[in-house]
Amino acid sequence: MRQTLPSFLFLFLLIFAIAFAIPSVSAYDGISGLGTEEQESSIMIAGYQVSPEVLMRNDVGTVTVTVKNMESDKSVNIKDARMLSRDIKVLSDSYFNIGRLGPGESLNLTFTIKAICPDGIYYPRILVDGEDAQNIRYSIPVTVDSSSLTIGVKDIPVDIFKEERARIELAVGNPKQNTVTAVKIVTEEKEVIPSEVFVGALSADESKVASFNFTPHNKGVHILNFKLEFKNGDNYHSTDLSVPLNVTESKKSAELILTGIEVEPLLGMSLYKITGDINNAGLKEAKSVVMKVDDAEGIEAMHPYKAYFVGLLSADDFSSFELDVKVGENETQVPLVIEYKDEDGILFSKTEYISIERSGGMTSSGELPVSMIVVLVVIAIVVLGLIAYSWKKR
Amino acid sequence: MLEVLTNPNKFFEARMKGEESLKIPVLIVLISGIIGGISAFLTSSMMMEAMTKTLPPEAQGVMSFMPIGSAIGAVIASFIIWLIIAAIFFGISCIFKGEGKFKRTLEFVGYGYIPTIIGGLISAVLLYNFVSTVQIPMITDPTKIKEVITPLMKSPMMLLSSAIGVLFMLWSANIWVFGLKHARNLSAKNALITVAIPVAAYILFSVYQMGVM
Repeated sequence: MRQTLPSFLFLFLLIFAIAFAIPSVSAYDGISGLGTEEQESSIMIAGYQVSPEVLMRNDVGTVTVTVKNMESDKSVNIKDARMLSRDIKVLSDSYFNIGRLGPGESLNLTFTIKAICPDGIYYPRILVDGEDAQNIRYSIPVTVDSSSLTIGVKDIPVDIFKEERARIELAVGNPKQNTVTAVKIVTEEKEVIPSEVFVGALSADESKVASFNFTPHNKGVHILNFKLEFKNGDNYHSTDLSVPLNVTESKKSAELILTGIEVEPLLGMSLYKITGDINNAGLKEAKSVVMKVDDAEGIEAMHPYKAYFVGLLSADDFSSFELDVKVGENETQVPLVIEYKDEDGILFSKTEYISIERSGGMTSSGELPVSMIVVLVVIAIVVLGLIAYSWKKR
Repeated sequence: MLEVLTNPNKFFEARMKGEESLKIPVLIVLISGIIGGISAFLTSSMMMEAMTKTLPPEAQGVMSFMPIGSAIGAVIASFIIWLIIAAIFFGISCIFKGEGKFKRTLEFVGYGYIPTIIGGLISAVLLYNFVSTVQIPMITDPTKIKEVITPLMKSPMMLLSSAIGVLFMLWSANIWVFGLKHARNLSAKNALITVAIPVAAYILFSVYQMGVM
């Protein structure tokens, strides 16, 4: 009896000592996401940041992790920190001999990455080794999404007329999950102003409108090219937009036509007076209408009417004009220039060709017509005949 | 009267039997002068229309009488020229020892104006047709007057009118030959020389003028 009591007591104490020696399992405290951490680690990943938040394919970004010393009374020596990934390319080097981290202190470590992989969600791992501390293995989610901003035509006029300004509105939208910056729309079209509209930052699911003014100088099909540029983080991207437009003559503009043209020879030689009427068959008035003879070889405007000022010609109105011109022997057409301005002061010019018919009792070389020559010959015959007759009778 | 045109020799031979009388010759010269005046009026009107812009306003009023003045001047000039022509013929015929009064010479020279009436009428018609159909250019620069007027005067119509005048002048000269023959009692040859010298000079001068202008 006496021998079993000390044994029993010894056994009881042994059990009691073993129970106090087993450490408690540490709580998972504070790391979001996965995290396969060693027991009782005195350092931890307190937070992380991926910039830009969503990468596009081939974008370069950064991953910044915050390593914190959770001990309250002792420092920890951080030996190295690495980032490993099979899909995401790590461009920056690992960290070695980082140094001691004091109690409660934290440290930011940044790694440069490049999204060489297709779109998807990837989990590169952060490995932090500490001396006198347990090692950390931490996976960080990195999203790769190559979807670009959208750009489209929001509003254009139904009809676009030559020499008239048309307003074109383009809408830019951000279907991405993150904000993009430095958004701008540029164009190299000479007939479009402004050449660039700076939109600025565009948040996720946000859209903005940019306006351009297009003033075509020729009718027909025009294709306007725009380029949308933006930055995802520090990475530049662009998208092209082509807008086909059909430009027609204004249905309401002034339309000047010539009627009643008469060409009268002056002296029957190379000087001519051109008279006629100028009519406005359009729906808008024509201002400062001027008629003049165009410069051409063999054609010279003469006084008193080198040019004729008609002035304001309202719709359905007309005015007479006259011009004096000297035409070379080999020329058969005279170019007449009709100039006028619209209400915006834009100058319009049109050239009409007037045919010169050399007649009016003269041949093109200015000689007498045959009838006159016959008259002269007859008179000469009569006169000389009478003279001869009088001498014969003498 | 027609005989002076077809057989002037016989006409003047018969006239020599009567007294000198200037009534009919004056009438003939007057008619010829009037016709010449019409041509001068038309020509002056054409010049006036072209030169209006080169003249100051106060002068334009005065110059508007120029065509009428030209016409009156042509009538007066015809009488003066008649006297001058007769005097020239009388003087030249003295070289050939012509005999006869100046009044007779003047009378017979007057009869020689009949073809100029016909020729003047034709020329006036041609000139009227030319002036009424052609557009006269405005001259704004006085230095350009000759540049504009020259083509006018050298236009084919104007030259035709001058050519017709020369033809009828030849006809008149033919009548003057026979007139001088009888008025100054010259041989036909001497009468021809007497008339030919001044007439040829005049025709040559006219042709020269047509070419130079």
